[in-house]
Amino acid sequence: MLKMTHLSKVYRTEVVETYALRDFNIDVKEGEFVAVTGPSGSGKTTFLTIAGLLETFTGGTYHLDNLDVSNLDDNARSKIRNEKIGFIFQAFNLIPDLNVFDNVEVPLRYRGMKAPERKERIMGALERVGLASRAKHYPAELSGGQQQRVAIARALAGSPRLLLADEPTGNLDTQMARGVMELLEEIHRDGATIVMVTHDPELAARAQRNVHVIDGQVVDLAEDPRFHTAYAAAAGQVRG
Amino acid sequence: MHIQPILVALRRHKAGTVLIALQIALTLAIVCNALFIIHERVAHISEPSGVDEADLFVIANQWGAQYSTQETVERIQQDIATLRQLPSVQEASAANSYPMRGVGWDNFITMQPDQRAPTSDAAYFTGDENFLRTLGVKLIAGRDFRPEEVQNMGLRQNVATPVAIITKAMADKLFPKGEALGKTFYAMTSTPITVIGIVDVLHRGDVSTWSAPYAGESMVVPIRLAVPSGLFYIVRAKSGQLAAAMREAPKALYAENRMRIIDPKDGLLSFAQVRHRAFERDRGMAILMGIICVVLLAITAAGIVGLTSFWVGQRRRQIGVRRALGATHRDILNYFMTENLLISLGGLAIGVLLAFGLNLWLVTRFTLAMLPLTYVLGGVVILLLLGQGAVFAPALRASRVPPIEATRPA
Repeated sequence: MLKMTHLSKVYRTEVVETYALRDFNIDVKEGEFVAVTGPSGSGKTTFLTIAGLLETFTGGTYHLDNLDVSNLDDNARSKIRNEKIGFIFQAFNLIPDLNVFDNVEVPLRYRGMKAPERKERIMGALERVGLASRAKHYPAELSGGQQQRVAIARALAGSPRLLLADEPTGNLDTQMARGVMELLEEIHRDGATIVMVTHDPELAARAQRNVHVIDGQVVDLAEDPRFHTAYAAAAGQVRG
Repeated sequence: MHIQPILVALRRHKAGTVLIALQIALTLAIVCNALFIIHERVAHISEPSGVDEADLFVIANQWGAQYSTQETVERIQQDIATLRQLPSVQEASAANSYPMRGVGWDNFITMQPDQRAPTSDAAYFTGDENFLRTLGVKLIAGRDFRPEEVQNMGLRQNVATPVAIITKAMADKLFPKGEALGKTFYAMTSTPITVIGIVDVLHRGDVSTWSAPYAGESMVVPIRLAVPSGLFYIVRAKSGQLAAAMREAPKALYAENRMRIIDPKDGLLSFAQVRHRAFERDRGMAILMGIICVVLLAITAAGIVGLTSFWVGQRRRQIGVRRALGATHRDILNYFMTENLLISLGGLAIGVLLAFGLNLWLVTRFTLAMLPLTYVLGGVVILLLLGQGAVFAPALRASRVPPIEATRPA
């Protein structure tokens, strides 16, 4: 489903080159629920933005749903984002001017879908996240957990091949976070492929597989001493 | 086109939306009325005089001594003879006024001697048998004056002439069924005046709007005016020799008799200068209205650019989210262009009503003509294009917001 081989991402300025990802390799199979963990600045968010075609990469190859996406133009990347990928952001990223129904409708409109099909999909997605009754509410009228559920509904409505979640519970309290996590698990049980970036070890433990990123590379935890230091620091932050 | 969600979003930004819509409405109301006024003034400025403008000039002659009527007539005839002898002069004649002078004589015209309400208020020119030929006015029916028909008229004298040459517009007004030649009318005396000739066009002396209902209605009577001032020598230069004739004519007149005043500034005018002076206020008004239009359109465009730029800055993250969810550059560009189109259409709907309201007020207050629908439609098109043009640059900036913006911290 998602395969990156020797992928690199370099940020260049006039005086310095910074590797956000270096020789990055990952292979996510269809139907997997993978948690990508790592300390702050390790490159896990960069991985997610490249995986979601939100930005380009410098070297290596990336195949998404058996399609080489390395050299696609902007329009083609937009089309793939729209049709194959569902995004769940830490900050929910709902459009404040639109109500719940209209928010979920946004990606479907860009797909050029007819109104009756849009409505059917929107209400189906909202029912799935338990918010069908709030379709006419605006984001500001919902709790954080409800807003994230709307964001999940928006991601699900287009029936994407891949769900990408960036710290999906990062802005939620424990109870709301648990609810959102249970929802993601339920979606995964229904067959969705999910890649979730988190630095919450408890959340990562609930995924099917964990991939650890340190200094822009996927590492084997057992063999890399850097992880133990970084993991201890991250765990300390979470507890604190 | 995603109109419904754009309308929904606009309802959440009422203040900016309403302000820009109102600005567009006011601009439309003022601009289309201003353009109409400009058109009216330009049409007024471009009115045909009916005379050979390229070769004509006029001399305002004032005598510096007291003469009897007979002496004045003789001196005028001597002056005209002097002017005709100049090698650069084709023809010359004396008259009480000339077209587009700025002011002029006029007479109430009736069809019966005891008629109370006049049929016309025609411009009134006095001239001899050379008057029309000098002006280069086209006679389209009948004949010119004969020398024996021309009478002298001194200061404080009133001469009733039995014949007149009138313009086609006046003929049509007095005799709508046609056949004006040989028919009679009255010009504030009990003497019937017979129409002996009809000319195509002979503009009035005055150019003000009060005479608009009588536009084009002029008459010429065979009178040789013999007054110490308020008399004009109309001179037609030979083709291409206007400048030379204008240089030579005053010199020749002074050489013939120094007891006269020809004002160096206003006493010698080419017809181009006559026309320029006559419509100075109209031209000024047209320029002022043009400036108002340009300033208003510029302010409206600046308002649209300002508001859209502000909205693009405010919604940068939202644009990133839309891009992340599959919007292309074109989708974002279209979003802002459509948003402006909807605001503009709302403003223009109000503006159309305001435009006609403003025109109605101008019609009743300043006797302006009714605003034609084409001006309002033209204004609508101008403002739609202006809005789309003004919004394009900020919309293009918005379309360049990368999808990665969705992941940046708020």
